[in-house]
Amino acid sequence: MKRVRDSISKFRLAVYIAGLIVFIIFPLVADEYIRHIAILGMLFAVIASNWDLTLGYAGLFNFAHGAFFGLGAYTSGILAVRLGLSPWIGILAGVGVAVIVSAVVSIPAIRLRGIYVALITFAFSQLSVLLIVSQHTITGGLQGLVGVPSLSIGDFRFRDSRVAYFYLAGVFLLLSTLFLRRLVNSDFGLSLVALRDFEEYAISRGVPLSRQRFLSFVYSSIFTGAAGAIFAHYLLIASPEFFGFSFNTLFLSMLLVGGTATIYGPIVAGIALTYLSELLASLGPIRFMVVSVLIILTMRFFPKGLWGLINGRFTKRGSALPQFTDRAEDASQPAEIDTIQSQGSPSVEN
Amino acid sequence: MLLKVENLVAGYGKFEVIRSLSLEISKGESVGLFGPNGHGKTTLLRCISGLVDARSGDVLFQGENIKNHTPGQIVDMGLIHVPQGNTLFPRMTVLENLKLGAYSRRAWEKRLENISRVFKLFPRLEERKSQYARTLSGGERQMLSIGLGLMGVPDLLMLDEPSLGLAPKIKDELGQAILEIAQSGVTLLIVDQDIELLLGLCQRLYLIEKGQVSLETEEEEGIQQQEVLEMYFGRVAQ
Amino acid sequence: MTIDFERIIAILVSGLVSGSLYALMASGLSLVWGTLGMFNFAHGALVMLGAYAAWYFSNPAGLGGGLLLGIPAAIVLIGVGGYVLYVLLVKPFVGRPGADLIVIITTIAGATFLQNGVQVVFGPRYKQLARVLTGEVRFFNTAVGFQDLIVILVAPTMLLLLALFLKRSKLGLAIRAVEQNYDSAQLVGINAGQVYPLTFAVSAILAAIAGILLGGLFFILPTMGSEPLLRAFIVVVFGGLGSLPGTIIGAYIIGLIESISGFFLTLYWAPVVLFAVLIFVMIVRPTGLMGRE
Repeated sequence: MKRVRDSISKFRLAVYIAGLIVFIIFPLVADEYIRHIAILGMLFAVIASNWDLTLGYAGLFNFAHGAFFGLGAYTSGILAVRLGLSPWIGILAGVGVAVIVSAVVSIPAIRLRGIYVALITFAFSQLSVLLIVSQHTITGGLQGLVGVPSLSIGDFRFRDSRVAYFYLAGVFLLLSTLFLRRLVNSDFGLSLVALRDFEEYAISRGVPLSRQRFLSFVYSSIFTGAAGAIFAHYLLIASPEFFGFSFNTLFLSMLLVGGTATIYGPIVAGIALTYLSELLASLGPIRFMVVSVLIILTMRFFPKGLWGLINGRFTKRGSALPQFTDRAEDASQPAEIDTIQSQGSPSVEN
Repeated sequence: MLLKVENLVAGYGKFEVIRSLSLEISKGESVGLFGPNGHGKTTLLRCISGLVDARSGDVLFQGENIKNHTPGQIVDMGLIHVPQGNTLFPRMTVLENLKLGAYSRRAWEKRLENISRVFKLFPRLEERKSQYARTLSGGERQMLSIGLGLMGVPDLLMLDEPSLGLAPKIKDELGQAILEIAQSGVTLLIVDQDIELLLGLCQRLYLIEKGQVSLETEEEEGIQQQEVLEMYFGRVAQ
Repeated sequence: MTIDFERIIAILVSGLVSGSLYALMASGLSLVWGTLGMFNFAHGALVMLGAYAAWYFSNPAGLGGGLLLGIPAAIVLIGVGGYVLYVLLVKPFVGRPGADLIVIITTIAGATFLQNGVQVVFGPRYKQLARVLTGEVRFFNTAVGFQDLIVILVAPTMLLLLALFLKRSKLGLAIRAVEQNYDSAQLVGINAGQVYPLTFAVSAILAAIAGILLGGLFFILPTMGSEPLLRAFIVVVFGGLGSLPGTIIGAYIIGLIESISGFFLTLYWAPVVLFAVLIFVMIVRPTGLMGRE
C-alpha cells in the first residue's frame, strides 16, 4: 500500500514539474494575444475564486465583490498617477482599501438575513461607482483614469517584457489559491460551511457567527484588491466599467459555471470564460449577452457547476450552495461538526 | 357517494403521514374525524383539497378522480377546505375576505347574495364588515373562515378544527351555525378535538390514528358512540 | 427673501420629480417582493427598455409614430416583457430551495443581457425622447419646466390607479391575497401560477412608465437602468418591505433628501448621504418605515 502511495505521489511530483516547465515556456513561445488572455484569465480566476469564499463557502449574498476589485484598481492607479507613488506601494494600498471597505460593508451585512445582504452589498457597489464618477477631478470620471504606469523594478518595465506579467499573474494565482485552500480546509473554513448549512446548530456549538462572516468578507477582499491593482497597472488604465453590471456578471459566471464552494471550479472557469469572452470580443456587447445566457442555463440545468458535475460523485459533500440542491443530499453528519471544535479537522476537498 | 378516499398514501418529503387510508362520505351527511394530533387528519384534508400530492391511492369526488387536480380545479367542483388556524387575509376587510371566498368561477356571480346569507348566519360579521380581519377576535375569525368557505358554494365543506381555542359559549354558537349549514344541504367533513361537538353535529365518526382509520362508528346515535368514546379515552389513557 | 423662496421652489420641484420617479420604480419592485418574496434585479433594465421602446416608436429615426404611438406601445410591450421575464428567469426556479438567491443571479444576468442587447441594437450613443410639452411655467420667479410638472402629476396619478387596481379589481384582489396568505389563496381557487406572471407584468408596466418619464427628462442610455434600480432598492428598504404606502412615502422622502443634500452638499456627496441613509435604516430599523416582516 505504501508503495502505491509512493508511486502516486511520485506521479504527482512529475505532473507538477511538467506543469512548471510548461508554465515557464508558455510566454516565451505564445504570441502576444494569447499571453494577454492568459494574464487576464489568471487575474480573473483570482477574483472569481476569492468570491467563492463569501458567496460559496459562507453562503453570503455578497454582491460587493466587484467593488473590491474596482477599488483596488482605482486606489493604486490614483496613487500612481496623482501622487507619483510606486505601483508596488499602490498594490499594497489597493489591498488596504479593499480590506477596509470589505470590513465596513460586512458590518450591516452580517446582521441581516440573506436577501438584504444582497441589497446592501449591491447598493454599496453601485454607490462606489457614483462616488468615483462624481469625483472626476481625481478619478477621471466617466472616461476613466489614464496614464497608469506599468509595474517596474528599477529600469526594468514589466510591460515591455514578454514574460514579466505572465509570471507575476501565475505566481499571484498560486499564492491566492494556496491561501484559499488553507482557509477552506482550516477550522475557519469548516465553521463557515457549518454556519451556512446548519446555522442554529453551529451557533449553539459556539461558532461565532458575526466574527466568521466578517472575516470571510475581509479575507476574500485581500487578493481581490491586489488583483484590481495589478490589473490597473497591466492595462494602464482604471475605468468605471470595472464596477459595471457587465464585469460583475462575468465574474459571477465564472463562479457559477465553475461551481460554488470549490475554489478550483472558478479558477478553471475563470480562465476558460476569459478566453471565451475575448474570443467573442470582436462582437462587442454580444459577448456579455452570451455570458448572461450561460449563467441562466447553468442555474437551470447544472446548478452545481462544472466542477460539481465532475467531482460530485467523489467528494463527500456536493460542491454547490446548499440552497441549490436538496439539503438532505448535501448534509454532512452532525458528528462532523463536532470536529470543528477539536484539533485536527478532516480535510474537505481532495 | 359524494367523496370516496381509497387506500390513500401521502406525506412530506421522506415522511409518510397517511398510510393507506380509506373512508367515504355520502351526500347530505355530516362526518367527523378525530384522533391524536400529528396522525394525519390535517394532511388528509390537505391531500383531498390538492395542497399535498397523493403518493398512491385515489380520491373520488362526485365520481371523478381528483387525485391529480389542482386546488383551483377542486374548488371549482365544489369541494371547499377551510384549513386550521391562520386562514384569513389579515390586511383585508371582512367584506373583502368574503369576496375572495367567491373567487372561483362557480361562485363569483352569486357573491352578493351569498354575502348576505353569510351575514344572516353570522350577524356579528356584518357588524364588523369594514374591519380588517386581523382585528377580529378568535371566535369571529373562525366564523369568517367558515363564511369564506361558504362563499365558494360548496357541495362538500371540510372544516379543520373549527372549535380550536374557542370559549365554550362561542363553540356553541359556532356549533349552531354549522348545524344550520348542514341543514341547508351542504355535506360536511369536520375534523376536531372536541368529540362532544362532533357527536352533536355528525352522524358518523372516524378515528384516525397513525395515518389510518382505526375505528368507524355506525350511523346510529347514542350507545355505540358512547362505547366508542370510552374505548378511545381508554386507549389514550394507556 | 425672494432668493430663498426661489431656492425652496427649486429644491421642492426637484425633490418631487425625483420622489415621483422613485415611487413609480419602487412600487413595481415592492409589488413583486410582496407576492413572490423575490427581488427583480432586472427591474432597472425594464425602466431602460421602456424609454427605448417609447423612443423607437415615436422618434423619426425609429418608427416615427410620435408620442401618441410611442407611449402606449412602450407600456404594452414592456408589460409583456415583464411576463416573459418571469417565465424565463423566475418561473423555473420557484419552489426550489434558495430560489431567492437564484433569482437574484438570473435577473442580474438578464439585466446584463438586456443592457448589452440594447447597445447592440441601438448603439451606445445617447438618445432623447421628445418632450410632451416644451417650455416652462413660472412660479414666483422660478422657472419650472412643463416636463417636470408632468412627472409630478402623472406619477401620483399612476400610483392612484395602481391602488385602485389592487383594491377593486379581481386580479388586484388576487395579487393581494397571494401576498397575504399563499395557502388560503390557493384554497379559494386562485392560481398562483397565473398571478405571479401577471404581477410581474404590472410591475413592468410601472417600470416602463418611469422609463418614459425619465427618457423625457434625461438621456436615454443602455446603462440608464442601474441608477434607478439602486434608488428603488434604497426606497423599498427605507419605506418598508411589503408595504406599498410605505414605499411611496419613502420614495418622496428620499427624493427630497437627495434634492436637499444635492443643493447644500453638492452632488459629490449625494451618493454618500444615500448610502448612509441605507445603512442607518438597515441597522436601526430593518423593517423600514412602515414595513412588516
